[in-house]
Amino acid sequence: MARKNFDVSSLMQSKVTWAVIAELLILLVCFIIRPDFFSISYQPSTGMLYGSLIDIVNRSAEITIISMGMTLVIALGGTDLSVGALVAVAGAIALKFLRWDVLTYNTPGDYTVCPYIFVLTVPLIVCALMGLFNGFLVAKGGIQPIIATLILMVCGRGVAQILTDGKQFTTGYSPFRIIGQGSFLYLPMPIIITILVVLGVAIFTRKTAFGAFVESVGVNPSASRLSGIKADTVILIVFMITGLLSGIAGLIYSSRIMSNDSNNAGLNFEMDAILAVVIGGTNMSGGKFSLAGTVIGSLIIRTIVTFVYYFGIVAEATMAFKALIIAVVIVLQSQPVREYFAKRAARRGGESR
Amino acid sequence: MPQKNILEMKGITIQFPGVKALDGVDFSLREGEIHSLLGENGAGKSTLIKCLTGVNRMDEGQILLDGREIRPSGPSQAMELGISTVFQEVNLCPNLSVAENIFVGRQPMKHGQINWREINSRAEELMSRFHLNIDVTRPLSYYSTAIQQMTSIARAVDVKAKILILDEPTSSLDENEVQLLFNVMRELRANGMGIIFITHFLDQIYAVSDRMTILRNGHLIGTYGINELGKVELVTKMVGKDMDVIFNLKRAEVPGDADYMLKAEHIGDASHVKDISITLKKGELVGFAGLLGSGRTETAEMLFGASRTVKGEIFVDGESITLRQPFDAIKARIAFCPEDRKRDGIIGDLSIRENIMLAVQSRKGFMHPMTKQEQTELADKYIKLLGIATPDCEKKAGELSGGNQQKVILARWMAAEPKILILDEPTRGIDIGAKAEIQRLMLEMCGEGVSVIFISSELDEIIRCSNRIIIMRDREKVAEVDGSSCTQQDILKIIAEGAA
Repeated sequence: MARKNFDVSSLMQSKVTWAVIAELLILLVCFIIRPDFFSISYQPSTGMLYGSLIDIVNRSAEITIISMGMTLVIALGGTDLSVGALVAVAGAIALKFLRWDVLTYNTPGDYTVCPYIFVLTVPLIVCALMGLFNGFLVAKGGIQPIIATLILMVCGRGVAQILTDGKQFTTGYSPFRIIGQGSFLYLPMPIIITILVVLGVAIFTRKTAFGAFVESVGVNPSASRLSGIKADTVILIVFMITGLLSGIAGLIYSSRIMSNDSNNAGLNFEMDAILAVVIGGTNMSGGKFSLAGTVIGSLIIRTIVTFVYYFGIVAEATMAFKALIIAVVIVLQSQPVREYFAKRAARRGGESR
Repeated sequence: MPQKNILEMKGITIQFPGVKALDGVDFSLREGEIHSLLGENGAGKSTLIKCLTGVNRMDEGQILLDGREIRPSGPSQAMELGISTVFQEVNLCPNLSVAENIFVGRQPMKHGQINWREINSRAEELMSRFHLNIDVTRPLSYYSTAIQQMTSIARAVDVKAKILILDEPTSSLDENEVQLLFNVMRELRANGMGIIFITHFLDQIYAVSDRMTILRNGHLIGTYGINELGKVELVTKMVGKDMDVIFNLKRAEVPGDADYMLKAEHIGDASHVKDISITLKKGELVGFAGLLGSGRTETAEMLFGASRTVKGEIFVDGESITLRQPFDAIKARIAFCPEDRKRDGIIGDLSIRENIMLAVQSRKGFMHPMTKQEQTELADKYIKLLGIATPDCEKKAGELSGGNQQKVILARWMAAEPKILILDEPTRGIDIGAKAEIQRLMLEMCGEGVSVIFISSELDEIIRCSNRIIIMRDREKVAEVDGSSCTQQDILKIIAEGAA
């Protein structure tokens, strides 16, 4: 009995608990207003399940994938502002390979000019290298992450523009469409990719000692170095992973619109990713991180957006409304609120004993 | 001799979940007295202070200030009542000037603007009361720890305090700086202030205080005049065991033909240390004596690869090695407990388990992880072996007391099974029982064939443990003496005058 009470109290202390509660509350409001919000139906023509919940998870894919990397960067005590720009870069490269010389292949259609394997791999390699560049500035240059990644945040979109001569290409190549619009096991492909990425990052960090090293460097870099951890290597790997994941998100994004959009692709993604991580309970000052929390954080952000669309709140009020709900979530997670409920839980446990 | 009590604490009881932190403790402070508060880590000293300053709420008991009952709700209210505290870690802003630090939050104003002239002149006046004629407009970080300490005292005193609490103010000061602090304390005492002094250094208690109160496990053991109790009796009362038992340590025995484990020939780093040669035999304990800044730490950091060796050569077990980073040293089975436990040692937000497994894991590389089961077994083994006071290995290391944190770091390195162990001030700021335990552990490891380099500012513990003592001065090795045949006086003389 005592054991159980103790658990309730510590559960109340956890930010992840509050993130889950917040998500459930938003969903509950959705349900009250529109009881069919939760309905999921099967569409035989596309072989996919449909419904608001599926849509939320599907549409959160890019942010969830990026925020897996962002979680590690923040656990190191840094931030990566360049992720949104890398989404644009990945899209630009993919479309460049699909259309190559637009003057010759001047109508978009179900074809690719360069081998499809280039379309898939080169964007990812370039984004990983750009992430490595970020990591290099931070680890070897000793530059604060927020400043170091600001460079690519600004120039990344420029690179994307140059690659495509400032034009917006479109494509109709069907294998490319699968990434963002296809399905597998009745589920939209982005959900499948997200699941694989989340599992991959979770296994890499928790089944090896990498996660512990990241946390250790995030809490106390000096002591970590003196304990033999190669902090520089850890930083390089983390930023490279984040770059790579931004590339994956970029492919999904451009496959959804079957186009590149150097100006708008991935716009403000860095903010949403940081927010997802913070709502997920990872502290901005570095240290312990929670990948599960981040996934929930990302879902919360997307649920709010869906909520806004779904209930026809006027477009002008969208941003303000989103900010309002996020403010409530953050307050719910604040130290005083968590402590208040933890104490209440502990006291109630004490009385019942 | 004024005899009026300015502070009386009666029957103070504080209950923490599962443990009575204080149990009916009485404490009184007279006007114009320096009263030492003694006890091991966890005895309840800090809790008593926190109760007085309103950080912890007491469950029973009362506090009388000048005969009137008070119940401070927090440090700022305590300060208004005239109770000022100077903590162990200087909590000032290093980038602000000395004067700003003294007046921050209560700057004198003139026409709605800060009156800088008054701030600076009043700060100068305050510091000169402590016989410190310094430029108070310089940033605090420009000055030594001692001056920073004085600044926080000046800040505390200027708010018209009746009671000044000094919590371990001397742990990062050298001998001269300690004397400076004592002069200030005596001056304040002469002005009628009551001072509560907490320290782990027994000599300092006898040098400066009038009375002492001893706590053990939350109980009051007694209050004594300074002449009533000798050192040995004092320690016995603090620890509750006989001092002989604690200090029954035997120096490591090293056969004359033992192999050299470590040889450093004419090593120097980029800035400080020019030319140092050191040998260390298997199972030998070599002490490094010398003042702060004499090059002890710099030399140790070179031997661990924490700073680059630009000159000379290092041999481990007969083989020449290059140490580019601590990882290389760990590969060569060298371990290093750094001087600044908080900054370079403990990883506060991680659990005891993670802190202990770190060095082993970093040697293996992250692709060869230890399972949680293995980590827990390792941590539990050392928690038991070193007597780390914790309910389990999942507690955050940052929440432990200083002595237990030190044991966790020691455990981290013992788990890495080193051949050479370098300990930089491992006993600083921890209580006498834990100190003795760490010394015992060091010597036990020597007995198992580990070679130890022991750096300490406390000469008696260096002499007690070392086979040989290397004496450093002004970033040079000035002498090497035999540990069994030298006295504190010999060493002090060499430190003061240079080569023997």
